[in-house]
Amino acid sequence: MRLGITLVLGLAATASLAPAPALADTYFVTVAGLGGEPDYEQSFRMVAGELDHVLQGAGHRVYTLSGESATRSRLTRTLREVAGLAGVDDDFVLTLIGHGSFDGFEYKLNLVGPDISAGELAALCNHIRSKRQLIVDTTSASGGSVAVLERRGRAVIAATKSGTERNATVFARYWADALQDPTADLDKNDAISALEAFRYAAAKTAAFYATQKRLATEHAVFEDAGRAMPVREASTEAGEGRLIANFTLVRLRPAAGEGTPDVKRASAPADAAKRALLARKERLEQRIDVLKYQRAALPPDEYKREITEALVELAKVQEALDR
Amino acid sequence: MSVGVLASVIVLGGVLATSVATAASPAAGASARASGAAAAGAPEADRAAIAPERCAALHKRGRRPEAHACYERLILQAGSAPRVVGTYWRAEGEWALGDYGAANRDFRDAVAGADAEPARPPAGAPSPRAVYRVRWGLLLHERFNDSEAVDLFNEARAREPKYAPAYLALARVSADGFDNRAIEWTRKALEIDPRLTAAHELLASLALEDSDPALAAREADAALAIAPDEALDALAVHASIELLADRPPDRWFERMGALNASYGEGYALAAHQLILAMRYTQGVAYYRKALATDPELWSARSDLGINLLRLGDEAGARAELVRCYDAGYRSPETVNTLRLIDTLSRFVTIREPGIILKLDEQEAPLLRPYFLEQLNRDIADYDRKYHMKLPGPVRVEVYPNHEDFAVRTLGVPGLGALGVTFGEVVAMDSPSGRKPGDFHWASTLRHEMSHVYILTATNHRVPRWFTEGLAVHEETQASPEWGDPMTPDIVAALRDHKLLPVADLDRGFVRPSYPGQVQVSYFEAGRVCDFIQSRWGVEKLNAMVHAYALRKTTREVIAQTLSLTPEAFDQQFQAWLYASVGTTVGNLPAWHAALAELARLAHAGRNDAVIGKGDAVIRLYPDYVYDDNAYELLADAYLARENRPKAIEVLRRYEHAGGRSPQLLEKLAGLEQDAGDSAAAAATLERINLIDPAFDQAEHRKLGDLWLAQKNYAGAIREYQAVLAFHPLDQASARLDLARAYLAAGERNAAEDSVLAALEAAPDYRPAQKLLLELEGKKP
Repeated sequence: MRLGITLVLGLAATASLAPAPALADTYFVTVAGLGGEPDYEQSFRMVAGELDHVLQGAGHRVYTLSGESATRSRLTRTLREVAGLAGVDDDFVLTLIGHGSFDGFEYKLNLVGPDISAGELAALCNHIRSKRQLIVDTTSASGGSVAVLERRGRAVIAATKSGTERNATVFARYWADALQDPTADLDKNDAISALEAFRYAAAKTAAFYATQKRLATEHAVFEDAGRAMPVREASTEAGEGRLIANFTLVRLRPAAGEGTPDVKRASAPADAAKRALLARKERLEQRIDVLKYQRAALPPDEYKREITEALVELAKVQEALDR
Repeated sequence: MSVGVLASVIVLGGVLATSVATAASPAAGASARASGAAAAGAPEADRAAIAPERCAALHKRGRRPEAHACYERLILQAGSAPRVVGTYWRAEGEWALGDYGAANRDFRDAVAGADAEPARPPAGAPSPRAVYRVRWGLLLHERFNDSEAVDLFNEARAREPKYAPAYLALARVSADGFDNRAIEWTRKALEIDPRLTAAHELLASLALEDSDPALAAREADAALAIAPDEALDALAVHASIELLADRPPDRWFERMGALNASYGEGYALAAHQLILAMRYTQGVAYYRKALATDPELWSARSDLGINLLRLGDEAGARAELVRCYDAGYRSPETVNTLRLIDTLSRFVTIREPGIILKLDEQEAPLLRPYFLEQLNRDIADYDRKYHMKLPGPVRVEVYPNHEDFAVRTLGVPGLGALGVTFGEVVAMDSPSGRKPGDFHWASTLRHEMSHVYILTATNHRVPRWFTEGLAVHEETQASPEWGDPMTPDIVAALRDHKLLPVADLDRGFVRPSYPGQVQVSYFEAGRVCDFIQSRWGVEKLNAMVHAYALRKTTREVIAQTLSLTPEAFDQQFQAWLYASVGTTVGNLPAWHAALAELARLAHAGRNDAVIGKGDAVIRLYPDYVYDDNAYELLADAYLARENRPKAIEVLRRYEHAGGRSPQLLEKLAGLEQDAGDSAAAAATLERINLIDPAFDQAEHRKLGDLWLAQKNYAGAIREYQAVLAFHPLDQASARLDLARAYLAAGERNAAEDSVLAALEAAPDYRPAQKLLLELEGKKP
């Protein structure tokens, strides 16, 4: 049973909390900034609303600020509140929607009233204890925020490759779609990771410009390796994409006794044999991940032999679990 | 040489000046009457000095060192001449010595000076205002700036309407662009000055381009009668006539060589004619002769490079073009072709027996199977039909960027064609090079492959109309849905009785006289071949191929194979053609109005009215399958009324009429599948592959599923591989589909590789895990 509590933070600000779980939570803070024009205002608010709906449906701890509530003070208060609640093992996701600006030195998110800079956002997020953090900046000029926002353990996804891509973006709407579309689940594990959502949204964004026969004015990037060098694709050699690949955003189906490690911990059956199988499965998945990241370093034959062995074994374990 | 001698040469005046066709630069190619006229425009005292035409005459006779010294002296003496004349002389000297920038500046100053001076030339002499403009324009033409050159020629014409070299200069620019006005301008020049040797020579060359060797010979003779020791191009035209007729050209080249041992232009002219006759290897040999005679003939070297590329010799082409570039000869054709060679280096090369397929590396995974399948089919069909094997592999290059293809063909962008054949090399647009549905690539490929066979079978001795006609004919032999349905422009041309007599049909390709005539000529040539096959049988077409190989003319071939005069043939052909298309031709005005009305009704949502009138509009012009066609409007109306069977019926008629909109065909496939007709749905989706395989990733998956269900495993494998060529985000599903198709086809190892690849992308993908275990369980 899920007990939803909505904290009214403003006209369109909601936060719903699942019952305090024994295990790790994910805190989502979504901000839809100032639109400036009715069309943008509506569009930003709609995307924020969709995200709020999906994330709440997934049982996360969700804070959404849009419209009049999207002020710097409200955002500051919300992030401080999350800082007080989130533990080290809880994940934290901040999503920025709207217009951003970059003057060559400083990125700012346009809000009702005073704007907030990337430096201020970074400082607020630094107070949140979560070891794994993700900032999804979908605004124009968001590429200009990456260097300030990123740090070890905190991935940043930006809709634009630099602060000079200043046109309004469409990345946000596809990011919201990614969290609802099963086809975004590329590894077929019934969960959408941040990397999968990134790939989905980036591909849809590119297709949008191609279909419209417009020059693409946004090129999404991410940075999760702590190198301050945003990239557009994961790289096993450089370790880029590792953090966001394992950063689950939503599950498409309720986990039934197995799945990713946190769910497994939450609902592992008492049956010892099954527990052993689940543990075996987890080890095999980890081994496969490691092998994939080591691919470039391994001789092709050796890689093929080992990955085949692990995949066959994993399939057998799954078969046993399904019996 | 004393000044007195020089003066006497100049006093020889008109004839010498007229006959020295090329002035400062061998490639300039204009009448040197201009120079004489310039001298005429100078004060009497200056006539004792050396003048440009003297230097040009030395150059024309191959006395290069003396010509060089002459031009140097010309520049030196310019300082002591009156300002405007001196500037003009300097410009001529600089041009000849290769200082084009300085020449351009001095020509500009000379023209400005001539415009400012009130002095009138002696009676009968042309105005320096016209002369300088033509000379300046010829410099610009030589240095690849035709637009400003034409402006200058027209200005010259405006200032001096009876100045023949201005018209000749316009003719040269038009001739280089295969513009029909070349003949018009040349005739105008001759009307003004019948003794303009260079105009006769140009007309001779143009006549030969138009496959009229008799006229070419007459004009060349006219030039030689005026200037027997100067008309080098006339000699080259005679040599070309012999070459094209497979007779030895030696005596003409020997005469040319005796007059000017370093006249490479003559060999280049012959090479140009051979290339136009599609005899590329021989053309390349003559470009080499041109360069052996004059290694600094950069235009010939550039043409050599371009034609080496046409023969598939990338390395040779690059070497020649780089030499041109490094020597400062940077014509658009040279630079564009060098860039193209760089692009080609990024193509992948697929070799199969008898085939070298070059595809853009991005497109290769998708296009490869479709192109190989069609190529193998075409080769098998033509081998059987013509009882022959190609002597070597055919090389097919497929360009995703249409302008690259245009450069490949002409050296410059802006070509309207879809494909072109150079012997055993075919270059064509990729489906992605055009708007989806704009063309049927498989039909285009079959067309070009027909050329490969016909050129080989006739040793390149075939008129353009016949090889094009056969190629168009072959398209619809492969499938009645292939080929290009009659466009409204063709219907209008038929209405206006614009078809050419069969004996003159080449003109419609080489030098069209109205916009769209090339397309009309393709249509006509194709229908001529259709007519011959339908009236006399396919063996007569083959007999014509053999007759052309024996160097017969069209008149002889028609008489020999069909026992008709060309005139009688034309009569019978047109009666046959108009019997089949006459109704559409007569309906054209009514169809325009009816289609507009139908579109209006459709736009207004009056579906019942569209359904009531749609069929009648289609009947007026059933071939019209292009934008906003009646089939689409009618099918949409039926769909709005939820009458799917009728919508399917209308869209199938569209499909059979040669409709090639991928969107409409995809819609039809969906309706057929929904109606439970999986076989028809698969066949419709296959048609899209022959039009635009890159149209839609989902279409390939759907077709893969249909083929798998219909046990066409090879087809399913090809389609699932096509899905992967799109680099889908969802690799796991795509690879699992492929694994299933492989397994169904009995290819267990490939199935295992594919399912492992699916699991590598998605280790927990249950359906893939199950298939993997199934495969593991079946291992011995």
